[in-house]
Amino acid sequence: MTRFTLTSGKVIVKPFNKIWIVLFVILIIVVVLGQYIYFPEYLTLAEIWPFLKKMFSPRNDIFGHRTWGDYFNYIFTIIPYYLLKTIKMSIGGTVIGSAIALPFSVLAAKNVFKNKWITSPFRFIMNIIRTIPAAVMVIVAVFIVGTGNLAGIIGFSLFSFGIMAKMLYEVIETSDMNSFEALESTGANKTQAFRYALLPQIFPIFISYLIYVFEINIRASALLAFVGVESIGSIIQVGLDGGDFDYIGGVVIVLTFVIIIIQLFSNWIRGKLQ
Amino acid sequence: MTNVQQTYLKIPKRWKINLIFSIAMLVALIYSFAGSEINILRLSSVFYSFKYMILAYTKINWDLVLGMGIYPFSDGVVYMALETLAMAFFGTLLGGILAIPLGFLSSETVGGKTGSRIGSAVLVLIRVFPEIILAVVLLKGFGINSMTCVMAIGIHSVGMLGKLFAEAIDNMDKLPLEALDAVGANRWQKIRFGILPQIAADFSSVTLYRLDINVRSASVLGIVAAGGFGAMLSYASAPENQSVLAALMVVIVPMILIMDAISGYLRGKLI
Repeated sequence: MTRFTLTSGKVIVKPFNKIWIVLFVILIIVVVLGQYIYFPEYLTLAEIWPFLKKMFSPRNDIFGHRTWGDYFNYIFTIIPYYLLKTIKMSIGGTVIGSAIALPFSVLAAKNVFKNKWITSPFRFIMNIIRTIPAAVMVIVAVFIVGTGNLAGIIGFSLFSFGIMAKMLYEVIETSDMNSFEALESTGANKTQAFRYALLPQIFPIFISYLIYVFEINIRASALLAFVGVESIGSIIQVGLDGGDFDYIGGVVIVLTFVIIIIQLFSNWIRGKLQ
Repeated sequence: MTNVQQTYLKIPKRWKINLIFSIAMLVALIYSFAGSEINILRLSSVFYSFKYMILAYTKINWDLVLGMGIYPFSDGVVYMALETLAMAFFGTLLGGILAIPLGFLSSETVGGKTGSRIGSAVLVLIRVFPEIILAVVLLKGFGINSMTCVMAIGIHSVGMLGKLFAEAIDNMDKLPLEALDAVGANRWQKIRFGILPQIAADFSSVTLYRLDINVRSASVLGIVAAGGFGAMLSYASAPENQSVLAALMVVIVPMILIMDAISGYLRGKLI
């Protein structure tokens, strides 16, 4: 930024020219994408379309010959088995994690506990837990309890706890505290005041967050197969290794439907609660 | 009856809904544990594993973390963290740039009724498609390297960013647009001088928020494609490689904490 001092003593600051930001962004893009000008053999965009075709039609080569009947049979019999495992893990993780998050979020809310020494440690713990991605959390759980559904549930509980606690204490901090103070002035303790003044306020938001966290868990669970827990991602993993791309396509169709159904359900419930 | 009693009798009876909700949650919980093979043998080994895990964190291989000694720097965890940050940054940049036209299209102010419908449909489709499958598809186009992750993150970000951009455009003050109409500005001039100055701060704040999310997904997306912590994470997922996971955690947690702090600070400055 350049400064001009006029003869009258007035200082004028020339505003920062935003064109430099744009040029910087363009430079980054050119540098990153420019590698493909020199090494065009790394860019095989033309292979994406045949791959998509293979994904959404039955396999037909020397290693496997399937009909559309086999394809739909697979979608309706094998995939639901893995989908059920995924949903079980997500439900268990979401419910346990959110149930634990509810009391902890109150302990971290600054307007319920005015003392900084109570809220800060809880916030710190939550922030640490929140940073760890779901897949990493499941790796830790696999180490502690071994592979299987239980590891998924524990990993997802910790992961859901992190998201839920953070979102909930922000909701509690923005909620109306008048009724809480009124109850406290009549001699109710903090638990009773929370039960009758704050919980009715945050409950609808809690439910809609519950569904949101559930959806995140469903999405994240596709990755679990790659860290050793059987889930819907197992089909993707096996399909990639064995060239059964049509099975991956089946997973895409099923997962897309499930997520759409969850979102419609979440919209419906949000409409009901308000 | 006194006034207080009357009011007390009028309180809404929610116990039925609460009961149904609690029972549903309980049933779901019990069902989710079915088939998870909990037995005494497994539970008895939990404490042993826990002890071993804590032990792994007490003696972290700092040579591996920093890429010194026998490990080249490009194998160190810190280098992977830098790669992850670069992937997330470039992915977000790409997503942000792609989201601008789609956001404008799907806002009613610019795109009109039909445009907004088409735009929103495209955005919903992008949002619904799971990131990991996007990475699997793009693997064929970009090969096993970090560019696949960048593209997957970029395309996936467009869904949320476009929606939030469109909301920002629809919620802004429309009077400058009328003023620009009155002086005879065309559509592009209206976008440049009427809309962009108003929503630039909103756009940046939303994009920074997305950067937070993308750093998280970039650190695990490498398991499917490559780049970042991916290869190391799938190696560490074997129980005997707990020490490697400890080395990864020591870098991942501070990295995301610092990124959160930076983006939170910048967002606070913007608004």
